[in-house]
Amino acid sequence: MAAPQAEPRRPTSMSGAGEARPRQSSSSYVVGNAPQYTATRRHSLYGTEDRIIIDPGSRFWKVGFSGEGKPRQVFLVGSRHVGHAHDEAGGGVSQLWQLEGPKTAEEREEADRMLAARLQDALRSVFFESLMTDPKSRKVIIVEHPLLPLRVKDLLAKILFDNLNIPSLSFASSSLLALIAVGRTSGLVVDSGHLETYALPISSSRPMYPLIKTTPRAGARLTQHLRALILEFGTFHPPFATLAGSANTAPRPTRIPPEILTDAIIEDIKTSCCFVGRVMSQSPSGAPDTMGIDTDMPSPRTEDRMSVDPESQPHTPLRSGPNSGTQTPVRQSQAGSSASWATRYQRDSSAVDFLVPVKPPPPLSGTGRGSIRVPGWVRERAAELLFEAGDVDEASVAEVVLQSLLKTPVDLRKDLISTIVVIGGTAMMPGFIPRLHDEIVRTLTKVTPTASVRSPKRRAYDPYEPLRALVDHVAILNDPSPVPSRARTAGSAPAFAPLCMSWVGGSIAGALKTGGQEILHDKWDEASVVIEEPETPLHGLATRENNFVLPDWTRAPLRVGAPHAGVHPPRQYGVPLDEPITV
Amino acid sequence: MPPLIEYHCGCTSLPTGIPPPPHLASSSFAFHPLHGLYFCEECDAVRCNRCVTVEISGYYCPNCLFEVPSASVRAEKNRCARNCFECPVCTNTLQVVPSDPPEPHSGAPVTISTVGEPPFFLYCNHCRWDSFDAGVTFEKPTGLALQLQKTEDSAPEILEVEKLKDYFEPALKQAQINQQYQQALAAAATGGTTGAAGGPGNVGHSPTTSLNPIHVAASSALSREVPSFKYSGSSRRPGLGPSLAKRGPAPSLGSNVNDIDHPTKDYKPRITAGTGEGLAHDAEIEWVSKLGLPAGEENGGGAISGISFAHKNEIASLEQRLHATQYSWAPTHSLRTVDLKPTRVPLRSKKSKRCPKCTHILIKPELKAQSTKWKIKLVAANYLPSIEVVIPTLGLTNPSVKRTGKEKDATPEDAALANMMLPGKTYPFHLVFSNPLYDPINVRLSVQRSFPPPPTGSTPNTAPLDPSAAVPSRRPPYAISLPTSAFPIAAYAEAWEYEDEEDEEMPDDEELGLNLGIGSRTPGKSGSGRDGKGKAKTVGILERRANVTKVGGEVVIGKDGKGAVKFNMLVTYTYRSDDPAEDKADTSTSGTPASKLGSARKDTNSGSGATDNMKTFSFYTVVDLGMIAPKEMVAKVEKQERRESVQTVGVYN
Repeated sequence: MAAPQAEPRRPTSMSGAGEARPRQSSSSYVVGNAPQYTATRRHSLYGTEDRIIIDPGSRFWKVGFSGEGKPRQVFLVGSRHVGHAHDEAGGGVSQLWQLEGPKTAEEREEADRMLAARLQDALRSVFFESLMTDPKSRKVIIVEHPLLPLRVKDLLAKILFDNLNIPSLSFASSSLLALIAVGRTSGLVVDSGHLETYALPISSSRPMYPLIKTTPRAGARLTQHLRALILEFGTFHPPFATLAGSANTAPRPTRIPPEILTDAIIEDIKTSCCFVGRVMSQSPSGAPDTMGIDTDMPSPRTEDRMSVDPESQPHTPLRSGPNSGTQTPVRQSQAGSSASWATRYQRDSSAVDFLVPVKPPPPLSGTGRGSIRVPGWVRERAAELLFEAGDVDEASVAEVVLQSLLKTPVDLRKDLISTIVVIGGTAMMPGFIPRLHDEIVRTLTKVTPTASVRSPKRRAYDPYEPLRALVDHVAILNDPSPVPSRARTAGSAPAFAPLCMSWVGGSIAGALKTGGQEILHDKWDEASVVIEEPETPLHGLATRENNFVLPDWTRAPLRVGAPHAGVHPPRQYGVPLDEPITV
Repeated sequence: MPPLIEYHCGCTSLPTGIPPPPHLASSSFAFHPLHGLYFCEECDAVRCNRCVTVEISGYYCPNCLFEVPSASVRAEKNRCARNCFECPVCTNTLQVVPSDPPEPHSGAPVTISTVGEPPFFLYCNHCRWDSFDAGVTFEKPTGLALQLQKTEDSAPEILEVEKLKDYFEPALKQAQINQQYQQALAAAATGGTTGAAGGPGNVGHSPTTSLNPIHVAASSALSREVPSFKYSGSSRRPGLGPSLAKRGPAPSLGSNVNDIDHPTKDYKPRITAGTGEGLAHDAEIEWVSKLGLPAGEENGGGAISGISFAHKNEIASLEQRLHATQYSWAPTHSLRTVDLKPTRVPLRSKKSKRCPKCTHILIKPELKAQSTKWKIKLVAANYLPSIEVVIPTLGLTNPSVKRTGKEKDATPEDAALANMMLPGKTYPFHLVFSNPLYDPINVRLSVQRSFPPPPTGSTPNTAPLDPSAAVPSRRPPYAISLPTSAFPIAAYAEAWEYEDEEDEEMPDDEELGLNLGIGSRTPGKSGSGRDGKGKAKTVGILERRANVTKVGGEVVIGKDGKGAVKFNMLVTYTYRSDDPAEDKADTSTSGTPASKLGSARKDTNSGSGATDNMKTFSFYTVVDLGMIAPKEMVAKVEKQERRESVQTVGVYN
């Protein structure tokens, strides 16, 4: 109600501001001097208001109003419930959904309830705390990740309509919005988030969903890997036991007790002092094979780590030795897998060690904070996990891009490979985008070994052979340090942060009154029916079930003659799948 | 954690109306502390913050308490547009300070202005951050936000978004016109006979509906869509590639100038990613990689702490960066703390809340920012008896606490163990009820079984929580005993009113309470209670005074119990209503003795209870009694105990 008035009244509210602005606005709207002002003005002329753009991730949510250049708030979901044991109950990690769901029906039921409750809390806090606006008068655009679980989507709609009473809701593809934010409608979007990394080609603003390629190598995996590396190679410098001791009696550095390395500290290390180094200088042929094995790093659990770790001896001197620098020869001589790995990375890293202050738990607490020494090469090379050559199940980020390209029609490939857009939180790591570019180029130019001695002319099978000719055209649009290529599009995108790119696209789409099919509240209510649940406890969340079918690419009708994909057809569909659909 | 009790709000109950069992994680979303709940008088129901409808009734700055008119809130981006700033490093409020006065020159009189010397800058009293280093200074000490307005408005990303909008707008319009024209054509051609053409995803916008120009106009006004945004448009389908799509209806009508997919000229951004803001990307990586301990430095023990932490502070944490992003004009890319900019203080709002069912106002604050009062306040604490849970013996029975005085400090494990229950033991606990109503109430308690819905009528209080019918492995390793019969709680009254009544009332109550207490005890439980504490009575009414009644319960921990002891408790209370309407009480319980008791008591009390309307209200609570000590912990302490051979071995029998 108040919102439409907000815009025209704005000049009066800041009447004391610059004298120049009101005068200028009365004469003509000169774009460039006070663009935001003219923008809001223009909205009010249309008589509509800004929409609310929500980009819900499994961890971070980006929320704000359309037409603005930045999300109003970027927050970690679940971090706000201080004092209530919600997140401890939710498994410790503040993450709304995982790749793997629970196995049994009962657990699934419970996980569903938890998800609904946490989504509801998050959405309510978006409206009442972040944006402080009345949900009843605001249209909402949800930035939808192509792999967003349908259950999450359904719950979001249910909560927004039933609990918050929003007038209308639309879902817009996050990858397409990211392209809009760089001023294009075709391109290859690479999104490296928390749970997965995917590459999705988009042509003429149509996301080609069936061509999506995805890998679980993303933020969550990186965190796990980083934790293992730090536990293995980092050192812990405990605080002084008493204040009386001199510098000589300082406690010796030890291995890091796992309980010190909390999720928060790992996350802090990952987001503030890690970066992605350039491609390593070794011969490109030999390294990836061995590294591929090493990728299966010990999981963060200690017992696993110990069992995988082949050399426990090298660490014993570590406990007595002053620093890790002297350990290098020992590691080399041991030639264990992780040791060779360490030396290889170490050789290729120029980063210096870094100390992160930590507060040790009670048994170790002395006079204050201790610190964790993170070796420089860990900082630089932890992200190698994302780029090392992968296998069938878990491709590297570069491979995902190329595999997706291989699936696209041939005539599109050249355009797509020169309009790559990289978005997502993991892509915020310094050096990620340039490294991805280098990695794509390296994969395409890699000299494949000959298959056998007998027929030296026959090369080993190279899956990326069809793309090799395009190597000169590889260009990432939002590359912050572009390498000159023939495509000349590298680095030509606007300087939005990769994390916010989809949101910014949503902001533009919202301001242009577009962005996906709108679902009106009336339609939603019409579709809702009251189901009298029988007396079965633990089954069904509420009595009121809405059988509105949200539009989703996975629910799109199949073409005539398409094979029947699943056993279960989508429920409550208007048209049965078997029936041919006339176009 | 001390034992605590939380109240259930019906918005999250299972379909059967019962709250989720307490061992489930989702249970914590269904129960709330009493002080956070509201009570709707119309619906006669508890409402919580997760289900009420919220309306923002006013905005104010928490720092300067300025009430911001709602018209300008949106433009000011929910932030104080006066002089309030937050430190980007520690989020403390910043202070405006003047520069140092100029050095007094020889002879020249120094004129010190009353407000101080420009330039002014912001200073953090907590972490000593100042805006001078961040390059933010002011000419005047007032109206700071206005002085910064220009910087904020011309922030690069805002200009960029504007430019993008201008770039896309003509093409979008063209696309819309094209689409409508095509739809009209298609509709005319098919004559509206293609039944399922739209497909189910195309709700309300199928080509057949837009036959005549009015429909075209209406649909364009109502749903402005780009055809390409749709997942399953009739003419354009995702995933087919352009070669196939082109075989469909002609994609555009002539003028390709504004075709969104084939622009004549590419978008030229104002600032490209390649040039960047702040430090260039490569330079930043270089900076990060060189930050830290120099390679050759042997950190000789203690020397590290001071210097090296400074490196950490040079990098802004993710939290700080996000905070700065929320609203300031700091570059979002930069990792460096020096690039952080002060943020304007976010506004707070006063909210009024309504019942989601009947939209009656539950709580409504006074609008003045300084006021902490409410115009309307229907909080549950005024309607439901408040309950406190105490385990009187906990913290005393365990030897560690006794030991602390004479020996060296208890280990943290001992301290933790002191607040946990030991397996195989029986603990009495007290529930202290206080009545907020001006009428006396009768309360009846029952324990909710964990799995199947409770059979109506029978309330076997001392039964184990989980019957064997449910999954046997889930059987809770503890049993709860509660008083079975109803007990009274006197009406709330002002403190001075009790003095007169005390003489006549107390003996009666004492007798009543004692009877109830004894009656409710099952023999076995009382026996164990006596063994444990040497106290005559643990289950039943323990104490009554004023509007407070203390009842006792008992929990028996199984031999191999572990985890938390939590149970759902249904509290049913009966009260006399002034309201003649009878239909409010919907929960039927076997409360006839209670109501009889209540009316009898009221008769003696006021002497005018002939036409009482008795009403019943019931609500669920979850009682968290704390943790059962894990076996290994007990064993460890026990071993230590034996080694020290202290006299308190008997506790562990």
